[in-house]
Amino acid sequence: MIGIDTKIKRGSGELAILALLDHEPLHGYEISKRIAQQTGGVLQFNLASLYPLLYRMEKRGWVKGKWEEAQNGRKRRYYHLTRNGKKQLAPLREEWGMFFQALHRIAGVAHAG
Amino acid sequence: MPDNRELIKARLGKLGLGARREEEILRELSEHLADHAAALEASGVAPDAAAREALDTVSNWPEFRNEIQSAETGETNMNYRTKVLWLPALCALTLSNGLLAISQIFGPRTHFSWLNPYIDLRPFYMFLVPWLISQPVVGAVAAYWSRRAGGKVRHQLLSALAPAIALLGVFVLILPFSIMLDKRVANHIRLSAFLLMTVIWVLLPALPLLIGAAPFLRKPQAQS
Repeated sequence: MIGIDTKIKRGSGELAILALLDHEPLHGYEISKRIAQQTGGVLQFNLASLYPLLYRMEKRGWVKGKWEEAQNGRKRRYYHLTRNGKKQLAPLREEWGMFFQALHRIAGVAHAG
Repeated sequence: MPDNRELIKARLGKLGLGARREEEILRELSEHLADHAAALEASGVAPDAAAREALDTVSNWPEFRNEIQSAETGETNMNYRTKVLWLPALCALTLSNGLLAISQIFGPRTHFSWLNPYIDLRPFYMFLVPWLISQPVVGAVAAYWSRRAGGKVRHQLLSALAPAIALLGVFVLILPFSIMLDKRVANHIRLSAFLLMTVIWVLLPALPLLIGAAPFLRKPQAQS
């Protein structure tokens, strides 16, 4: 698996989390699991890399954590996308799209988007 | 499944975010690790090993704590390396040079030269020895500071040895710069005197610095 630089990972992590939460509220472990699954393991977040990112996003008002009962009956902190978070999603997608297009032009790096 | 909340608490230490928020964070992290351990167990890992493996995904707990604090308070935390290496190293350097200055001011007046093959080293030793005796304290302070800040053993070691490393840098630079700037000076530098001075100023202080640091060279503390 190719290792991703921490700064790139952080930046892309915000977009990945917002995009996931745009579909449904998820708790932390589920977020990290889905990111790993959907990126084929290229992007991986563990406890130390995920939660500071989530707390930072919560402080900015992009996501909101609420304790809710999970399917297994345990209470989990589910993260919901806020209105402010939804507003961030489109420009972030655009930014990353432009970033990959620019990389593609200069280095032949293809992007999926 | 073992309750990992206490294990996380012991590793993270106090976050300084208020009891309620800290409890919430601990609970959330604990749930995450429990899920991770359960997934590992489901893939055939023994329960104890699964719990340990989940916990081991965090390689640096003090850094994790700093990241959480930074995210929660909105304040930019000092760079990890600055905290665990540069600051303790600077402290060691300042302390060591301060003590050297005191030895030189209150000790016998002397000078050293590598142009002279017949240096009288007696007065030199008179201020050097008290200074060397004080160096374990410098090494101990730097290593302890680095460890408290969450530094790894190599950070603690480098911080403690900073005064000797800095002097080594000075000595290593002197010869090439002398050669570049003035060949006549370079031709007069006696290699034996140069090597002797390097031993006296670099290797000799390194030893007491290391002795002072040795009792504090341990894995980082979780609490701060």
